[in-house]
Amino acid sequence: MSRPTIDSTSARVPNRWCLPDLGLGVGLRTQHFRHITEKWPEMDWFEIVSENFIDTEGRPLYFLDQIAERYPIAMHGVCLSVGSTDPIDFAFLDKLKALSKRVKAKWLGDHICWTGVNGLNGHDLYPVPYTEEGLRHMVSRVKIIQDYLEQPLVLENPSTYLTFRASSMPEEEFIARLALEADCALLLDVNNVYVTCRNHDLDPAAYIDRIPAERVVQIHLAGHTDNGTHCIDTHDGRVIDEVWQLYARFHDRAGGRATLLEWDAKIPKFSVLQQEVRKAARFRSGARKAAA
Amino acid sequence: MQAVVMHPEGAEAGVKARAASTLLAEAARDPRSVVLPSKSLTALERLGIYAHMYYARLIEVLEGEYPTTRQLLGEHDFAAACRRYIAKHPSRTRTLNSLSRKFPDFLAKTLPRTGRNRFAADVARIERAMEEVFDAPRAEPMTAAQYAEIGAGEWSRLTLRVTPALVLLKLRYPANAYMTALRRGEKPRLPKPRATHVIVFRRGYQVFRRDQEAEQWKLLESLAAGKPLGAAVRASIRGSAAGADRVAKHLGKWFEEWASAHLFVS
Repeated sequence: MSRPTIDSTSARVPNRWCLPDLGLGVGLRTQHFRHITEKWPEMDWFEIVSENFIDTEGRPLYFLDQIAERYPIAMHGVCLSVGSTDPIDFAFLDKLKALSKRVKAKWLGDHICWTGVNGLNGHDLYPVPYTEEGLRHMVSRVKIIQDYLEQPLVLENPSTYLTFRASSMPEEEFIARLALEADCALLLDVNNVYVTCRNHDLDPAAYIDRIPAERVVQIHLAGHTDNGTHCIDTHDGRVIDEVWQLYARFHDRAGGRATLLEWDAKIPKFSVLQQEVRKAARFRSGARKAAA
Repeated sequence: MQAVVMHPEGAEAGVKARAASTLLAEAARDPRSVVLPSKSLTALERLGIYAHMYYARLIEVLEGEYPTTRQLLGEHDFAAACRRYIAKHPSRTRTLNSLSRKFPDFLAKTLPRTGRNRFAADVARIERAMEEVFDAPRAEPMTAAQYAEIGAGEWSRLTLRVTPALVLLKLRYPANAYMTALRRGEKPRLPKPRATHVIVFRRGYQVFRRDQEAEQWKLLESLAAGKPLGAAVRASIRGSAAGADRVAKHLGKWFEEWASAHLFVS
C-alpha cells in the first residue's frame, strides 16, 4: 500500500529540517490494534505515546512491530519533563532511542513542560513560568537531550490551566525563542492553543501568528471539554469549528504539515477517527494548490 | 506546585501543608503571590484543576488494572483506597507500569479486616500478576526437539530455565476460580477461605491464570528458583507421603501442561 508523503519543500514555508509532511494521521491506541492489523485501513501515519511501548515486551510491542512495517510512525512522549530541575534521565533517553530505531520513527517529541521533581512523576504536563531564567534552563536541557538523541526534539505547546505571576513574556514568545535558541522543532497543537487562550483570556489567532512556521513539523488537532469557567484538554471528541479555523489560519501562512488527530478518551471506532481527520484535507488542498 | 497538586486532600490543604510551606518562601505561602487568577477562577481554583487531575488520572489507571477488585470493594471504597495508596506511594518512574506494584499488599494491610476485604486483596494479587506478566521480557520457549535431546538419565540433574513471564501466587482464597466464574458471566458468591495455589503466565502475547495443586505449585516454585529437577521434586513432597504419591502419579501430566504453556525457555 503506497502512502502519500508530500514533499515538504513545496510547502509555503518549509520546515527547517525538510522533515516530510506525512499527511493525515491518528494516535495509535490499543482499542484499534486488531482492526488495523486485520484490515490495514487507509491512514497516512500513526503517532505513538512513547511511554506506552517502553519497559514492556507484551502485546503492545507485538502489534506495534507489525504496524510500523506498513505505516510511518512518529513518537510523542509525555514524561521527558524537559522543564524539570531533576537531572536529565539518560537511561530513559536510551530507551527512547532504542524504540525510535525499532520503529524507524520519523521524529521524536514531547512537551514544553515539567512532569515532576525530586524523583516524583505527576504524569501530567505542568506549566513552566515564562521567564528569561526559565528559558535559559529549558534551552540548555533541550540542547543536551537533542545531542544525546542525535536528532531534533519536536516539542509541543501543552494546554495550561494557570499562569505565573513571575512570567515576563507571553507563552508564544517563550516557545518561539526556545525553538530558535535550542534549535529544536515544534509540534503546534492548535487545540491546546485554543484551550490555553480560553483559560487565560488571550487571542488564539495572534498566538498562532507568532509561532515560527519554519520550526513547526507537526500539528495536533483534538477535542476538549468546555466547563464554562475553563476548558480542559480532554481529547474525547470532535474538533470544534474554532480550532479548525486556527488550523486553517496556520496553513494559509505556512502550508502543509503532518497533521494528527488525538482522540484518547471515549475512543470511537476507527472509521470515526478516519472521518474526522479527513476533514483536515479541505484545508490542506488549499495549501497544495498555492504551492503548485 | 508539585507538593500542592499531590496533596491527597486537595489544593487548599496542599498549600497549608508542611511540605509546601517548607518549600515555598514566606511570601509564597499565599498561592496568589505565585499564580495569577483568571477572569473566572481564583489562583487556588486554578491549582485545584491540576490537583484534581492528578488523582483522577492515576485512579483511572488503577481502575483499569483492577476491575474485579473494584467490583468487590465497590466504586467508592475502591477510589478511596486508591487515593490513600497514591498518596503513600506516588509514582517515581517514567511509565505507569509499576504504579500499582504495592497495591495488593497495601489493601491487605490497610483495609478493615473483613472477609470481603481479605478476599479482595487476593483478587488484587492476581490482577497485579497479570499486569506484570503482560509486560515481562520475552524468551523463546523450549522446542519439542530440545526436550527430546534430554537423555533419560539427565532429567534429575537438569536445571530448567523458567520464563520471566510467570508469577506464582499462594492465596488464602479460591480467587482464581472466582474470577473465572465471573468471566463466564456467572454471579459467584464470595467464597470461604481455602488455601489455593495459582500461576499467572504469558504464552505468546496472551495472559493466562491457572490453579495448581499444592505439590505441583511447590515443584514449579523450586524450578523457578533454579533447583535441578530431582531436588525440586524432593522439595515439593517434603514431609508428605500423600504428596509423594501425587507427584509420582501426576508429574508427567504437570510437565506436559507446563511445556504446552511455554513455561520452560531455551
